[in-house]
Amino acid sequence: MMATRTTDVQTDAEELVKARESQAPAKQPLVKPVDDPVIYPLELPESETRLTTPAVGQRATRPDGRLHGLGQTQYIDDITFPHMVHAKVLRSAHPHARILNVDTSAAEAMPGVLATLTGKEIPTNSFGPTLQDQPVLAGEIVRHRGDGVAAVAAVTEQIAADALEKIKVEYEPLEAIFDPLVALEEDSLKIHGGDTNVYASKVIKKGDVETALAASDHVIHQQYQTQMVEHVPLEPHASIASWDGNGRVSIWSSLGRITLGREDLARTLNLPQAKIRLIGTIVGGNFGGKNEITNEPILAMLSRKTGRPVKSVFTRGDEFVSSTIRHPFTMDYTSGFMNDGTIIARKIRLILDGGAYCSWTGTTIGKGSILAPGPYNIDNILVEAYAVYTNKTTTGAMRGFGAPQVCFAYESQMDDIARTVGMDPLEIRLKNAFNEGSSSPTNQSLHSVAVKESLTQASERFDWKGWQND
Amino acid sequence: MIKRGRGMACMWYPIGFTVAANASAATVKVNTDGTATLLTGTVETGQGALTVLGQIAAEALGVATDDVHVVSADTDATPMDTGAIASRTTYVTGNAVKLAAEKAREILFESAAPMLKVRADQLEARDRRIQVLGFPSKSVTIGEAAHYSENVLGNPSIGSASYNPPTVEMDPETGAGKPFNTYVYATQIADVEVDDETGEVEVKKIVAVHDCGTPINPMLVEGQIQGGISMGVGFALQEEILFKDGVQVNPNLTNYIMPTSLDMPELEVELVDNYDPTGPFGAKGAGEPTAVPTAAAITNAIYDAVGVRITSLPATAERVLTAIEEKRAIS
Repeated sequence: MMATRTTDVQTDAEELVKARESQAPAKQPLVKPVDDPVIYPLELPESETRLTTPAVGQRATRPDGRLHGLGQTQYIDDITFPHMVHAKVLRSAHPHARILNVDTSAAEAMPGVLATLTGKEIPTNSFGPTLQDQPVLAGEIVRHRGDGVAAVAAVTEQIAADALEKIKVEYEPLEAIFDPLVALEEDSLKIHGGDTNVYASKVIKKGDVETALAASDHVIHQQYQTQMVEHVPLEPHASIASWDGNGRVSIWSSLGRITLGREDLARTLNLPQAKIRLIGTIVGGNFGGKNEITNEPILAMLSRKTGRPVKSVFTRGDEFVSSTIRHPFTMDYTSGFMNDGTIIARKIRLILDGGAYCSWTGTTIGKGSILAPGPYNIDNILVEAYAVYTNKTTTGAMRGFGAPQVCFAYESQMDDIARTVGMDPLEIRLKNAFNEGSSSPTNQSLHSVAVKESLTQASERFDWKGWQND
Repeated sequence: MIKRGRGMACMWYPIGFTVAANASAATVKVNTDGTATLLTGTVETGQGALTVLGQIAAEALGVATDDVHVVSADTDATPMDTGAIASRTTYVTGNAVKLAAEKAREILFESAAPMLKVRADQLEARDRRIQVLGFPSKSVTIGEAAHYSENVLGNPSIGSASYNPPTVEMDPETGAGKPFNTYVYATQIADVEVDDETGEVEVKKIVAVHDCGTPINPMLVEGQIQGGISMGVGFALQEEILFKDGVQVNPNLTNYIMPTSLDMPELEVELVDNYDPTGPFGAKGAGEPTAVPTAAAITNAIYDAVGVRITSLPATAERVLTAIEEKRAIS
């Protein structure tokens, strides 16, 4: 049986949080690795799928897969350079606060600490794929617990972690908002100033939804909600920066998009792109979580300060609290349909918990809204979607950009529509699904459509018609 | 009592966004022995993208997958790429790779034409040879053509190209327009068991049938689907970041519960036979959509088993049991 009891988890976790306020990793003994060379097979066995033409359609094995299996893949954590040092980032103690003072002097005085860094030292201290609303290290305000406040470079990871505890940060705590519906209220605190916490919105309009709802034989409404989830890649975010004597910086990173990553680095570091080399190493899982810079500018600055290559690898805790996660959606779905199961209207309102910063919310709200009515021929559609700031973990790109959330809603409602009119779930879908040339919610004429084929093929494979609940 | 149920969910997912520039570039160089090197700015993030891109280059050049070495992800050496995001690599970068390989192949054709005493447009590349259309016995190896081109004629076989799904503006009032170049479709069906005394759900089997256009490498598509379903199972039943006063209370793998291999159901994966003329050799994409319909298929199966509609994810044992108890209280 699966472990699905969240109350047990929460009780355990609250104990853990009390014991671990500093977010520093548990102290580990320093163990010198034993140099015990492994003899690898160095000949690639002949693989028919890799040697056959034509190449397309072959179940060709992956050359990188063999190296993973032999332990020869160089992930960031496997890469080391002479004189390399290690960086750690101190995270905010509050979900929303003004930073009054950051005192790094005691950390700097520790043996083994080479440099510290605060947000004031980052040449352009903001980034983001659409809105540049996120600081590399917090400036005057922290907006969630994952915000970095200061960084340390030290000769070992352990000393860097210990040094974080010596950094004294004075905060003036501010009111914080955790519920996106509260953040929507007119008199709520504005997390990024201005007159609203709504920072992205999208409307999809087709036909006349109100008239069609009034003309429907049946109208059903339901609200659906989804939760925050993490990408949980096996390899956490990791990078190494090395600033050289020509003022050029080389960065090895687990980032999944190096061209735009270099643009972001050039902007934050105020360097010409030609002075930056960004190398994307083999990544141990991305799932959307590694599509923007994280520690890279911090490491570049620390390398410049220390003259050493600087590495950082997120702890699993860093990965949860300071990398991006999936947007929770609150989704109101109203469908109007006829006695024969034809859906004629769908009215949808989506509220995205947008977290502390924009990140990839623009793409998530766009895809989520366009996909929200589902792969069905519905002539009258209204989708209204809003993303709002909250003082929680930054929500960003994650496998599907809003599609898994809205699919949960539209496919739950399809079954409820089928039940209302007494049809089988397969038949209601086949009746309404897109055909070749169907018009999408944005009036796009669709080609190479295969939704009905997938329904029929899956039902046959499952033996949907022959199934008994026993 | 253990109750059994089944549920289905289908989905659509866009490939190749067009609302903003979405370009990829690629360079293909044919070596003088008929092998080749592909330069791409995308990053291998575990999905097998570099293998697929190598297969696309190999197909266009008429060589085998093993003949193409792929160099990736170094801003000092590789061309621009919008990145490993939005299930775009096979489609967008793949189209760029195909165009680049065709340019390199064009140079081989021009050089091989006088060797075979025909025009360049009478040639095709297949089975590691350049041969006259309709007369396969009249041929040279790709290595012979590449050597002649580079070392005799001084015209190395290198092609560079880029691809961008045409950028289209959307109507600001209605959102109307063509926001994506193409879409993929899928259906997943779940078979679950629900314990109506504890609310615990066990997924026994998932049948997943996905469209990705032409599967460049069916094994890697199947791998994506299997991995996507595991994320979908976690989203449906287990995973949730919990907060107390703005602090995550389970930021670790002890208390953030996600599926292990022991939680995974039996998987039956099939692909729809489809071809998209806008994709490289008919391919679309397969990364993200694999995780999309799983949760709805599972919650629809929970309804079929015990008659309760889960409207808030994840469908933990407590949530399912509460819904069952509420239903009993009403009836």
